[in-house]
Amino acid sequence: MSDALIDALNPALFWEYRLVLLRGLAFNAYVFFAAAAVALLIGLAAALLRVNRARPFRWVGTLHVEVFRNAPDYIMIVWVHFVLPLLLGKLIGQRVEFSPFVSAVIALGFVYSGYFAETFRAGIQSIPQGHLDAARACGMGETTILVRIILPQVVRRMLPEAVNQFVSLFKATTIVSLIAVPDLMYQVSMVTQQEMRPLPLYTWAALTYFVVIYLVAGSLRRLSEHWRQKIYA
Amino acid sequence: MSNWERLVWNQRGLLWQGLTVTVEICLLAFALAIVGGLVLCLVRLHVRPLRPVAVALIEFFRATPIFVQLMWVNYVWPELFGWPNSFFTSGWVALGLQSSGYLAETFRAGIEAVPRGHREAGYSVGMSSFQVYRRIVLPETLLTVAPSIVNQFTVIVKSSTLVSVITVPDLMLQAMKLVNVWYEPIEVLTATAIIYIALVFLVSSAGKALADFHRRRFGLDSA
Repeated sequence: MSDALIDALNPALFWEYRLVLLRGLAFNAYVFFAAAAVALLIGLAAALLRVNRARPFRWVGTLHVEVFRNAPDYIMIVWVHFVLPLLLGKLIGQRVEFSPFVSAVIALGFVYSGYFAETFRAGIQSIPQGHLDAARACGMGETTILVRIILPQVVRRMLPEAVNQFVSLFKATTIVSLIAVPDLMYQVSMVTQQEMRPLPLYTWAALTYFVVIYLVAGSLRRLSEHWRQKIYA
Repeated sequence: MSNWERLVWNQRGLLWQGLTVTVEICLLAFALAIVGGLVLCLVRLHVRPLRPVAVALIEFFRATPIFVQLMWVNYVWPELFGWPNSFFTSGWVALGLQSSGYLAETFRAGIEAVPRGHREAGYSVGMSSFQVYRRIVLPETLLTVAPSIVNQFTVIVKSSTLVSVITVPDLMLQAMKLVNVWYEPIEVLTATAIIYIALVFLVSSAGKALADFHRRRFGLDSA
């Protein structure tokens, strides 16, 4: 058993492939940033629908949130990759194909938009009616109110929650390897097939993700706390 | 519509079989998560010498993605510990371990939220510290953390789709098999997605209702 342990903790093989693996980790980051942008935009749109005065809009927003918050990431990625292009193709009468990267970004973006929508909504609803009345009394339009009164406060209020969701999103980017986006896990499985030594490779992959996520999550939390206090002061 | 009948309705036996495997795995993982989370949390709070180990394990489980952990448990553990010896076991063990990290932190927050006075009241009527835990601290904690536990269970159900990657024949794997046999992904994958969304929705609604019911029964507000 101790031989296996030494083998598992030996970083030599992992280090040998560091360039390929680092490129994989960069792909995790690309997917993360693109999906986060999609999730924030669509999440905001869904949240605005959910607090809309007109009931049909609210229904659409609620449906969006319930569907995407309850959907497993993996099935959504597979669905977007294999089903959505076919449906779109039937709609416009042309062959449509998504690259794995695009599918991953769309799927993760939509799934996490459900979570972000709820965070945005909680933030929006926590804004005192008086602020909105004051803005209207100054003659601001709805868009100006959204951009200058609502969003700045919402962003500050949702930061801690949003940081948690960004961390979950980053963790979810590991499963994009399953539709052949060349991320770190994909590269690890490729190298494993070549070297036939899963022990050190998977152990160090897990340790790498642990260190990256632990450090990034910690510093994001500290940053957001610092920023909140500085602005609130 | 005939594809729906041919590929989904006529294959309902297979899909149902997959669904039972999914449910089985989720329940086993959930049980492991609760027991493991409680143990990790109690060790962290009360067993001084083992505290760093518990903290390290909790942080490790929480900060590694479930897919990475699944692969790690599946490929590395059998050689390292000679166990788990089947894909099915790897699947639920990995799911359970990940959630036990989260639940440990949830339990800790719950335990620390129990007012000091309740514990002291227990001691003052002559309870031992084990009795105080069993009869005062744990019941109160379970009530306050019930919503988070339900939430964690839905996370387990969602992550359980990944065990199909290590060829555990769950709903996801059966669906992918059908896709690979017929090359008609639209109906099968849509139906599978709907089943999963409905399952998670059902679990979270039922869990919420149960948690609310208990909280009201014990006189806590349902917020």
